[in-house]
Amino acid sequence: MTRILLLDDETNILTALKRLLRKEDWQLDAFADAEDAISALQTHSYSVIVSDYKMPGMDGVTFLQFARQIQPDTIRMMLSGHGDRQSMITAINRAEIYRFLSKPWEDYEIQAAMRSAVDLYQVTIENRRLLDQIKRQNNLLRQREEELLRLEQANPGITRVRRDKDGSIIIDDEL
Amino acid sequence: MTENSEYSPNTNQPAENPPGHREHIDRQLLHSEKMAAIGQLAAGVAHEINNPVGYVYSNLQSLGEYLSDLFRLTDAVESAASIEDLHQIRKSIDYDFLRGDLEDLLAESKEGIERVKTIIAAMKDFSHTEEEEFRYADLHAGIDTTLNLVNNELKYKANIVKAFGELPKIKCIISQLNQVTMNLLVNAAQAIEDFGTITISTWRDGDFVILEVEDTGPGIDATTLNRIFEPFFTTKPVGKGTGLGLSLSFNIIEKHRGEISATSTPGQGTTFRVRLPVHQPQEPADD
Repeated sequence: MTRILLLDDETNILTALKRLLRKEDWQLDAFADAEDAISALQTHSYSVIVSDYKMPGMDGVTFLQFARQIQPDTIRMMLSGHGDRQSMITAINRAEIYRFLSKPWEDYEIQAAMRSAVDLYQVTIENRRLLDQIKRQNNLLRQREEELLRLEQANPGITRVRRDKDGSIIIDDEL
Repeated sequence: MTENSEYSPNTNQPAENPPGHREHIDRQLLHSEKMAAIGQLAAGVAHEINNPVGYVYSNLQSLGEYLSDLFRLTDAVESAASIEDLHQIRKSIDYDFLRGDLEDLLAESKEGIERVKTIIAAMKDFSHTEEEEFRYADLHAGIDTTLNLVNNELKYKANIVKAFGELPKIKCIISQLNQVTMNLLVNAAQAIEDFGTITISTWRDGDFVILEVEDTGPGIDATTLNRIFEPFFTTKPVGKGTGLGLSLSFNIIEKHRGEISATSTPGQGTTFRVRLPVHQPQEPADD
């Protein structure tokens, strides 16, 4: 199941987000405290994180940096009422966010951003899975090749078995 | 502006400035410092307003969705072939959820609008310029107004502890005292490096009232402490402070025939104390 983490010190923002995302088939975990959100990151794996920028205690950029260390593949987004250039730049450069969304927002903007973030996450994960599979298969192939080489070295010609039309092995008299 | 002639070198000016000149300049300085402070606050206030506006606006959009779902049900009362169809629609729009959530949605939105209202009212109270008369006013109400306005600057830096005692109404220009309070609070928040506590205490001392603002910042060393009320003296980086806040606060308190002082323990924090008379003489501030 697709799991989404929402973090904002303003609980009314969290409920508004839950309302606008309620028809999606996602599990929404909302937190008002960054520490709680971090412990959730340690127990569940999330597809997308949406974090506020300015919060008491830990700010959004710091939180997203932690999140990036814990779950590097999760897509990070920022939702901020603090639309100045500097906060946007730090969020992009330091937290490597996917989208910077500002308050107040249009619901469809958030919905669209979330859907494409979820898609991106799934593609990333699928990509990783396929890459792993290729690596594993390559390893297997290499092992087999090495075994063949070793056999060939120990007993030259052994890997080149000749067969008859009916499949029986032809043993050369010369050897 | 008739006073303009005072600044012109070509007119025959007496060597002494006319009476009231200094007061006029003071008033202008006071006003520009206030405007600078409001400018600094504006960014913070914008953030403070964007939060409630953000969820109220989003809630309205959700409300639109909810209503169009509900209308599907009420419209179907006319057209549905059977009661069974109505039940079906009722289930598909998640009627029970909508019903339960509507109340919350409205309550939260109302709360959001009220927060915006409070902030706007505080800004209006604060920027009152015409109100130049001494009147009996509630200092605590003034502090609360100021707290509403600077809350955004403070809440990420400190816990605010209010230790309010019993105070009589005092004769003062409350908008000017609010400016002093704001100045002390913003200074306290800026002094704190990570996160600390700002304590606002008030109490009555005979015919005087005392207001203290205490922070848990790094403190001010003795040499600096001697100079903090000087005009244009600032330890803040360029663009952060005008160097006028405390000197104007000093002027305001002096005008109220009160005293402002600071004590500091490096490493522990700083306390600003304002002492104001409850009453003013009949002809106030005309010396």
